[in-house]
Amino acid sequence: MLLFALLPARPAAAGEPPPEPADYRQDAYRAPTPATLAGARVLAVDAAAAIWRAGGAFFIDVLPRPPRPANLPAGTVWRDPPHASIPGAVWLANVGFGALSADTEAYFRAGLAEVSRGDVNAPLVIFCQRECWMSWNAAKRALAYGYRNVSWFPDGTDGWAQAGLPLAPLEPRP
Amino acid sequence: MTRTPPLRTPALRTTPRRATRPKAPVRRAPLSMPGAGLALAATALGLAVALAALVGVGEGRAQAGRAPVPASGASGETAGGGQATQREITEREATEREATEREATWAAIRPDLFPGKAIAEAADGLVTLSAPGRAEDAAIVPITIALGLPADDPRSFRSVTLVVDENPAPMAGRFTFGPGQRDFTLSLRVRVNSYSFVRAVAETSDGALHMTKAFVKAAGGCSAPATKDTAESITHLGDMRFRSFAGSGRAEAQVQIRHPNFSGLQMDEATRGYTPAWFVREVEVRQGDRLLFAMEGGISVSEDPTFRFSYRASAEPVAVRAEDTENKVFSKTFPGGGS
Repeated sequence: MLLFALLPARPAAAGEPPPEPADYRQDAYRAPTPATLAGARVLAVDAAAAIWRAGGAFFIDVLPRPPRPANLPAGTVWRDPPHASIPGAVWLANVGFGALSADTEAYFRAGLAEVSRGDVNAPLVIFCQRECWMSWNAAKRALAYGYRNVSWFPDGTDGWAQAGLPLAPLEPRP
Repeated sequence: MTRTPPLRTPALRTTPRRATRPKAPVRRAPLSMPGAGLALAATALGLAVALAALVGVGEGRAQAGRAPVPASGASGETAGGGQATQREITEREATEREATEREATWAAIRPDLFPGKAIAEAADGLVTLSAPGRAEDAAIVPITIALGLPADDPRSFRSVTLVVDENPAPMAGRFTFGPGQRDFTLSLRVRVNSYSFVRAVAETSDGALHMTKAFVKAAGGCSAPATKDTAESITHLGDMRFRSFAGSGRAEAQVQIRHPNFSGLQMDEATRGYTPAWFVREVEVRQGDRLLFAMEGGISVSEDPTFRFSYRASAEPVAVRAEDTENKVFSKTFPGGGS
């Protein structure tokens, strides 16, 4: 096709995706992510949508939400911002950090076990927002826990919304 | 502190700016549309450049001045300058969606912050809010609130409340004044957690509320790690400085209180948990017996709370008192700096 013959060999202004690090990403989470995650399938929006429509896979949102501090003065108005996610997803908040506290680790393991009903072959689709390392970290960690059917959906709720797919309000799993 | 930015803020932003996120949403041009083939072939070069731009934009910042993509749709518009580009349309839709979400935020928090009250848009000059359109450091965003009543207005100001809509604790601070305050400017630094409206709501002596707002692009201010100076802030916990600028011809003064002002949302690398909230909750500044201002503040106020405010130097001493969430009280009296 004439169009593609005229396309330059590489995008004009885009940087290359960074290579996969050996370990979890520890900081600067909102940054361009790698193109791959060893051991996981990487899904574009269309593929994620097809899987969602077919049913059977478990979508896991790992967007961070800082918990309300315990010692705020009485009467402090607090607002957790509402989060709209992929309908049917389970939100395991804060499991995407590079290093997890023992509590958060336990929360992640328990959340995955519940969603998968203990089946390591259960298809998991892990996401947060576009250009966020947290979903990459979480998917990598799920693989480390022994889950065998892990997909990473890097575009996350951003890509989902732009594709005109529906979002639904979601609260974190307690 | 060496890294204190000046409290004088540059651009005045009293009208909301459209949020333009750096990651521009991109919708692919529908190449398979019947009838589009001829138009596309005719403008192949322009299109190839535009497609390259589309592929590039997905990962980088949206840039003005790229070649326009033929608008999709049955109208069959051809490529050319002057048409709304595909990217602009989707950006506008995203911006409108975000604007709707932001108005929803204000609608959600307003009844908690100002229960049962009517809030009017402030008349020109009554309340002015200066904030950077895009913050350099989301943990230290300089804000200036200016309050002024026309000479023929008999009212005075009782208080002004600073709100950062998208912050988890949206009420940054409520500042109350002594009687008869008609003309007051206050600057401080706040944390802004995500792109947000910042609002100043002033209450006049008749109980009326007057609001103005500005839009600040910043992210992560509340959870930004404590600075390297934080250990210093703790060592010098509660140390205060007062400075009058009368000598340089300005009717202003500045008060600083050393305090980490932990928001409770900052992650502690060592424990991988959150550093507990610990912040200055109340401040009172008096000139002689007269209250200049009192603050009831929250986690949105930056580390080492610093306030610059209207001040007419006199011989009367200035007394500053602060209390934090651990019920520690700090107080100091300074010479007034005038005669």
